[in-house]
Amino acid sequence: MSTDTLTADAIRLGATAADRAEAIEQCGRLLVDLGAVDEPYVAAMHEREQVVSTFVGEGVAIPHGTNEARKYVRRTQLAVVQFPDGVDWGAGTVHLCVAIAASGSEHVEVLAALSKVLMDSDKAAVLRSATDAATVLSLLGNDQQEAHA
Amino acid sequence: MSTLDASTIKKVVVACDAGMGSSVMLAGQLSSSLAPYSVKVQHSPVNQIPDDADLVLCQQGLVSRAKAVKPDKPVLGFTMFLGDPVFDKLQKAIRDGGQLEY
Repeated sequence: MSTDTLTADAIRLGATAADRAEAIEQCGRLLVDLGAVDEPYVAAMHEREQVVSTFVGEGVAIPHGTNEARKYVRRTQLAVVQFPDGVDWGAGTVHLCVAIAASGSEHVEVLAALSKVLMDSDKAAVLRSATDAATVLSLLGNDQQEAHA
Repeated sequence: MSTLDASTIKKVVVACDAGMGSSVMLAGQLSSSLAPYSVKVQHSPVNQIPDDADLVLCQQGLVSRAKAVKPDKPVLGFTMFLGDPVFDKLQKAIRDGGQLEY
């Protein structure tokens, strides 16, 4: 099954951010650079975070925009930004952001894979501390064919 | 505190602000844990909760918005995505057909 919502060029390992807002800014910037969203989507990501935290546990947050900001999404795309030093997210420390831009539901499989990884704390640790994009892709089920090869 | 007969739950809707991230993840987790009991789990933006939802789940901070949108629906709030006790409570109530407090 082809899931191109998360690709190697959308994975940034070893990033640093002083705080949550800076981390979200980097996630948003990456989505803009990838051509997945228009500029105003980034502001919506900050706005969404203030409504309710996107911290999901196991050192992972899933920043995304608001329902109103869907109009700024050009294509459904996920991006991963890793912060090895951690970012204070209020409810916990975040080491990995999975940023979401969704116009449809093509990304559901990757999020389902993410939720399975997070329920297994060993796998979650591997994901948080990944040192190459291939590890992230294999855990989030994006390159099943290669994983089986 | 009201109660809901858990045996009447056929469809659980997980609502979040945008319906593109948090609720998608949680709906994925819950649909596998509730599948054995023929309970459907769907995700939606909080302002588009479908009429046929028997129970709405959303983050605590969104409960009042969910209730404003659907005043007649039972709404359960949760604070943690992973391992919030409310998910266990829901699964047990559905499994045993008991009363669910909300």
